Amino acid sequence: MEEQYICVRNLTKYFEKRQVVDHLSFDVKKGEVFALLGHNGAGKSTTIDLILGLKTPDEGTARIMEMNAAKNRKAVFEKVGVQLQHTRYQNNITVEEACVEYASLYKDPADYHLLLEKFGLDSLKKNFVSKLSGGERQKLSVVLALIGDPEIVFLDELTTGLDVAARREVWKTLKQLKEQGLTIFLTTHYMEEAEALCDRICIIRSGKKVTEGTIREVIEASGQKNLEDAYLFFMGEEDLL
Amino acid sequence: MRFLKMYQVEQKLFLRTPDVIVFNLAMPLVTLILITIIAGNKAAADSGLTFLQSSYVALSTVGICCSAFMSIPISIVEYRSQRVLKRMYCSPCSPARLLACDTIASGVMAVISTIILTVAAVVFFGYRMSGNIFAYVGAWFLTMISMFSIGLMVASLCRTTKSMNVVTSLLYFPMLLFSGATIPAEVFPAGLRAVADIMPLGTGINLLKAVSMGCYNEVIVPVIILTAIAVICGAVAVKAFRWE
Repeated sequence: MEEQYICVRNLTKYFEKRQVVDHLSFDVKKGEVFALLGHNGAGKSTTIDLILGLKTPDEGTARIMEMNAAKNRKAVFEKVGVQLQHTRYQNNITVEEACVEYASLYKDPADYHLLLEKFGLDSLKKNFVSKLSGGERQKLSVVLALIGDPEIVFLDELTTGLDVAARREVWKTLKQLKEQGLTIFLTTHYMEEAEALCDRICIIRSGKKVTEGTIREVIEASGQKNLEDAYLFFMGEEDLL
Repeated sequence: MRFLKMYQVEQKLFLRTPDVIVFNLAMPLVTLILITIIAGNKAAADSGLTFLQSSYVALSTVGICCSAFMSIPISIVEYRSQRVLKRMYCSPCSPARLLACDTIASGVMAVISTIILTVAAVVFFGYRMSGNIFAYVGAWFLTMISMFSIGLMVASLCRTTKSMNVVTSLLYFPMLLFSGATIPAEVFPAGLRAVADIMPLGTGINLLKAVSMGCYNEVIVPVIILTAIAVICGAVAVKAFRWE
């Protein structure tokens, strides 16, 4: 039987009276690349926060590797790496210092020299993080997410704001990770990104699941030609098609 | 070992910050040189100290003042708003470690500031202390812990960078100017003098002056006040702390 690495059941969250995540359920299997797709404000980041135990759900459960992240924070984060939206780095910190600092969070960290080399950042070790380009900084975020040698990584809108070349470069690195068997949970609003990387996707609208499946399944279910049209179809934006 | 690695990085970041170098390390030294050249050997009013003796003690708290009311709240509130703390929370380690490293790094800056000041006062201006040096060091650390607890409380209570900037300015500049830390309290008019005496940093300076003169019978009240500040503000800081 295939192992379920992430198991979300009826996950629900309200902010004040507004329902941000609405009875969401899905599974992510070991070694799978899974994307949560939706408009800005659809509840993607909140879903990640709920899975990671950073927010408490009003209803439902989320388990990572059979554990509740809020209750078993230490055990979960020994196996789970994250890249969060809007994370910045300390002023005046260099690439290498950021690596040293993040490696010091783990009992048995990966060799950050190798990771920097793999992501083409080794020549930038002494550079200030604030001076990196957008693509380099996002690659550093991936390095820092991998520094604890995780089995699952969460990447929240990793490529938002990057130019086409930088985005392609980040994809390349993610494909490498996928080949190594890493389980990847990502959010994005670029459909070609989902097509290029993902085994399965889940589209949400106002916190509610509208469809889930492989890229082909989702396109077929919509009766459209490609994923972008399928996405618009499921989002109720048929007039744009 | 892992703690040490993180601490080293944070300490380097402090040493790389220009305002920390200027306000924490350079300012007390420059002020000491100026006051000593202008009035070093003159008696500082009725304090029983010369201006050199009085200013050395007062200026030895400037590093504490900078670290407590600038470095600590600014770095912690920034780390929170930049989501560094949230990111650290997503690891097997507690974000409290980063806060501890930062607080120690701020403390080390205050210690370096005071060592530079002491070397200048002793070597170049012939300063000698009549009180017990170890008692002085003890009183200095008590003052530091007490002021740091206020800074940590500010960091916990201020949710935004904006409110933190207002509060730290309201704490830092009055403490620096009106507690007798830079401008000697001995030259203040009586009203301002009373203000200096009730300021937390003023209390610390009074304690340190008493210890530097060997007047140990005057230390009990300030020690109690500083300890109470440390306990109360420390408790509020821990209770009100949020990493996001």
